[in-house]
Amino acid sequence: MSKTVCPRCATGGALADYQGKEGGKVVWTIHRCPTCCFSWRDSEPDSAIGIGIRSAHFAVDAANLDRYVKILQQ
Amino acid sequence: MMQDLAKQSRSITSLRDFLELLGDAGQAITWSERVMPEPDVRNIAVAASRDANGAPAIVFDNIAGYPGKRTAVGVHGSWDNIALLLGRPKGTTIRELFFEIAGRWGDAAAQISTVPEARAPVHECRIESGINLYDVLPVYRINEYDGGFYLGKASVASRDPEDLDNFGKQNVGIYRLQLQGPDSFTLMTIPSHDMGRQIMAAERTGLPLKIAVMLGNHPGLAVFAATPIGYEESEYSYASAMMGAPIRLTKSGNGIDILADSEIVIEAEMQLGERVLEGPFGEFPGSYSGVRKAPIFKVTAISHRKNPIFENIYIGRGWTEHDTLIGLHTSAPIYAQLRQNFPEVTAVNALYQHGLTGIISVKNRMAGFAKTVALRALSTPHGVMYLKNLIMVDADVDPFDLNQVMWALSTRTRADDIIVLPNMPAVPIDPSAVVPGKGHRLIIDATSYLPPDPVGEAHLVTPPTGPDIDELSKKIRAMQLGALQ
Repeated sequence: MSKTVCPRCATGGALADYQGKEGGKVVWTIHRCPTCCFSWRDSEPDSAIGIGIRSAHFAVDAANLDRYVKILQQ
Repeated sequence: MMQDLAKQSRSITSLRDFLELLGDAGQAITWSERVMPEPDVRNIAVAASRDANGAPAIVFDNIAGYPGKRTAVGVHGSWDNIALLLGRPKGTTIRELFFEIAGRWGDAAAQISTVPEARAPVHECRIESGINLYDVLPVYRINEYDGGFYLGKASVASRDPEDLDNFGKQNVGIYRLQLQGPDSFTLMTIPSHDMGRQIMAAERTGLPLKIAVMLGNHPGLAVFAATPIGYEESEYSYASAMMGAPIRLTKSGNGIDILADSEIVIEAEMQLGERVLEGPFGEFPGSYSGVRKAPIFKVTAISHRKNPIFENIYIGRGWTEHDTLIGLHTSAPIYAQLRQNFPEVTAVNALYQHGLTGIISVKNRMAGFAKTVALRALSTPHGVMYLKNLIMVDADVDPFDLNQVMWALSTRTRADDIIVLPNMPAVPIDPSAVVPGKGHRLIIDATSYLPPDPVGEAHLVTPPTGPDIDELSKKIRAMQLGALQ
């Protein structure tokens, strides 16, 4: 399990989905959190992905995922 | 010149054709200076949106980490671009564009042609294994707190899972898609939308639901396929009829009719019963949607043209491309529906936030008549959920000219001549709702007074108006531009 921590729900284990490369050199990496489904690029500004800097209003509570409504229920 | 423009418009078959036409008219630019996916693409798209009348489409071809890939934004981002799409010159007024669309409503025939798959440009390149959407799509975060990377301008085609051979029941609609890893995405919809119906039908019956996601399409499709027409009417036929031009279809690898000239088509299958977290997403009212659990689709194949252009949209707090893209085509159906009962209605402006505010001009048949028309507007298909604030003006006021609307508000509105309808249905993402899905409606009667009202209309100044003055106005603008050269 990776040590990359999700900026949105603060859990670890983020996956690396893609690396942007130029001339064989990695320019950035796109990560995805398997817990809260947040995706981000590690080159984004701190206001969007900085842990402790990003607005707390948009945090997801990883311990309480049941609170999020399922759409299109029969 | 007008005829040439109309002919050019009808000959558009693809995004590439349209970008070329826009480029020739000075309405598309290539941004070759190196940009970061975030925040640069968003910043540039927002800056362009400030010019609702004249903003060009922007094609980025030097995005860090995406060598050789291209992204287009703002294709429908200004009234001048919409005018060129409709075969009218730059500088055509919003009112003229409105009547161009309203005049086509219900008055044309569809022309659908079929291209064999082997000859369809969209199938030039095909990926069936080792799928990674990020290999093909130079995505970027549209708004800062979006939950991920979104496809904001994807036309999604699907067949009714219970009636696979029915062309009419095939649905094409724009739904927001969030990438959920290299080969998956979520789709957001509601039960009343055609796609919502199909998802629920598939899960009820256990039948597979296959879709084809078209990106970088014929520019008429995004304008006309977003319209809520009857479930059994084909959006392709409708878009072709409204454009007055043929639409070329082919088959996707998973058996769905797709545009033969799209840049990229992603084939996918819904994972029955599965939901994963989706959102937030910066939506058209200018606020974020919440986080919810949405259906997830697994990608089975990707087709694309050589050197494809990934088309996306900036959407968020207005004015944005979303407003120009759907504004007129939100207004025209309300106009047509109102005119069935009330031919006194002379124009409908529902450009603002998908019609959360609407301005309707009407010839008052009797005192208070405008209010009757307003109540009818609330019961049109779009009005049921969207028309929250209605401003009623006389026929001598152009509802697309906000200076004139403000004049009517200033001189013809009495503070006690408004109606508030409490606890009505509301669009769930309207941030002013009392609770999501329920809110109040407002009708402002800014029309003039008539008998039996004891106070009649004041004697008005009647400045010259009409087509002659419109032409003079355009001539002055052209002379001004000429003076610069």
